[in-house]
Amino acid sequence: MFKSLFAFRKPLSRRTDLALGIIGFALFLCAWEVTARSGAIRPEFLPSPVAVVQAFIGLFVERDFSSDIVISVGRVWFAFLLSMIVAIPLGLLMSTYRFVGAILEPFVDFVRYLPVPALVPLLVIWFGVGETSKIAVLWMGTFFQLILMISDDTKRVPVEFIESGQTLGGSNGQIMRHVIIPAALPNMVDSLRITMGWCWTYLIVAEIVAANSGIGHVIWSLRRFVKTPEVMAGIITIGIIGLLTDQAFRYAHARLFSYLRR
Amino acid sequence: MDNFIEIKDVAKTYWSDDGTSETKVVLPLSMTIAEGEMVMFLGPSGCGKTTLMRIVGGLETPDQGTIHLHGDRLAGPDRRRGMVFQSYSSYPWLSVRDNIKFGTRYRKDITAQEKEEVTDHYLNMVGLAQYAGFYTNRISGGMRQRVAIARTLASSPDVLLMDEPFGALDAQTREYLQFQLMDINKAEKKTTIFVTHDVEEAILLANRIVIFSSRPARVVREIHVDEILPMESRRNGTADMDRFFKLRAEILDIIRAEYAHTLEGV
Repeated sequence: MFKSLFAFRKPLSRRTDLALGIIGFALFLCAWEVTARSGAIRPEFLPSPVAVVQAFIGLFVERDFSSDIVISVGRVWFAFLLSMIVAIPLGLLMSTYRFVGAILEPFVDFVRYLPVPALVPLLVIWFGVGETSKIAVLWMGTFFQLILMISDDTKRVPVEFIESGQTLGGSNGQIMRHVIIPAALPNMVDSLRITMGWCWTYLIVAEIVAANSGIGHVIWSLRRFVKTPEVMAGIITIGIIGLLTDQAFRYAHARLFSYLRR
Repeated sequence: MDNFIEIKDVAKTYWSDDGTSETKVVLPLSMTIAEGEMVMFLGPSGCGKTTLMRIVGGLETPDQGTIHLHGDRLAGPDRRRGMVFQSYSSYPWLSVRDNIKFGTRYRKDITAQEKEEVTDHYLNMVGLAQYAGFYTNRISGGMRQRVAIARTLASSPDVLLMDEPFGALDAQTREYLQFQLMDINKAEKKTTIFVTHDVEEAILLANRIVIFSSRPARVVREIHVDEILPMESRRNGTADMDRFFKLRAEILDIIRAEYAHTLEGV
């Protein structure tokens, strides 16, 4: 059994995979509990896992944390879908038609390197302190990454696939719909999964801008009162949602693209 | 029709990425190919034979010259010239049957019902009926090439262009597919241009072998194989082996001489 764990690139059974994932989390929690109990770090800085769980329950009981979660999930998905709707067609065009790439790539590269938090004041000036500026922060954090990733995914479609389509009589539009998009789709879904993760990382930045709702707002407001267990509970909530979203993407990927399994 | 395909003064030059040096790939070159003829392009590696075939397929633009098919001047790729590539070009998201059916997708000359019939016809012709529902990355390389050939035939091209289609396959599979291609050719009588490095493959399959010089490509010799070894004798295994080996030695001598030119240029 142990020998098979060290075989080069050999896949593990689903059960072993799951067990190892749980062991990884359990080891982290044990190390955290031991450190917290040792008293080496004051509980204001590092509360025990038990205290964080209690704080987590408290967030739901004492304040309406579930609606904060719903609001944050809504913001992230709305911004992410907006990014997707614009980035997918543009990314496809950038890699398929060189002139579109030549026009857009330098600008996208320039904006991509701008730190999103630095743009927050500008976005507030442009869009105010309402919902729009929060969506804009999340959109800025994902769109310019996603467009290049979609472009790269499309570039990886083998040229023989496209040329076959051309010699079978397909027009440019038909080859785009019937060959390029289906061929690039598995990698595109992977890119969406990765950028969805980035979208969540910008949530705190988006929700500290004059917000009065959302997970980021809860974390930021409790920080002022040094409620470390609640702050950590909020952070862990984002982690759990991220993990579930990631698993949903992986599941969909495996179901949609079962032909990739050999 | 003797000049079914007419290649006239076609030339191609590639430029280095920095634009400072040029490589002539094809010198002004002319030839005609008859309807139903199987022509093998043979020559040293990198001589420009694939480039010439891609020009015929409309996948490369010549710097000068014209290609006519049945009197029509050609520009750009279309369904009249179907191509089979060396690398596996079947679509992994489609089953074997759906890949072959894809060949009929852009045909407007037949009904939906006829498309199904054409698909089944070629599925059976390449012997893959029992793998119809398999995705193509779950079948062998030889089977994938049969899918690619069947898909191209299903699109009903006037000309079949084959770019070393058996180059990546093991010897047994290659031989099996060569004979299968001979059977297909007998049934379909498709005008075919076939690029290969394999002299024996060329002799086995060709009506005519065109041997190219080292780069830039020019025709150094044309051999009408049918006049030396009748196609039927090659198909049924009764070909005169003395003539076969003599022809092979003769072709190899020409290619070796051209390859030596290539090395002198290195």
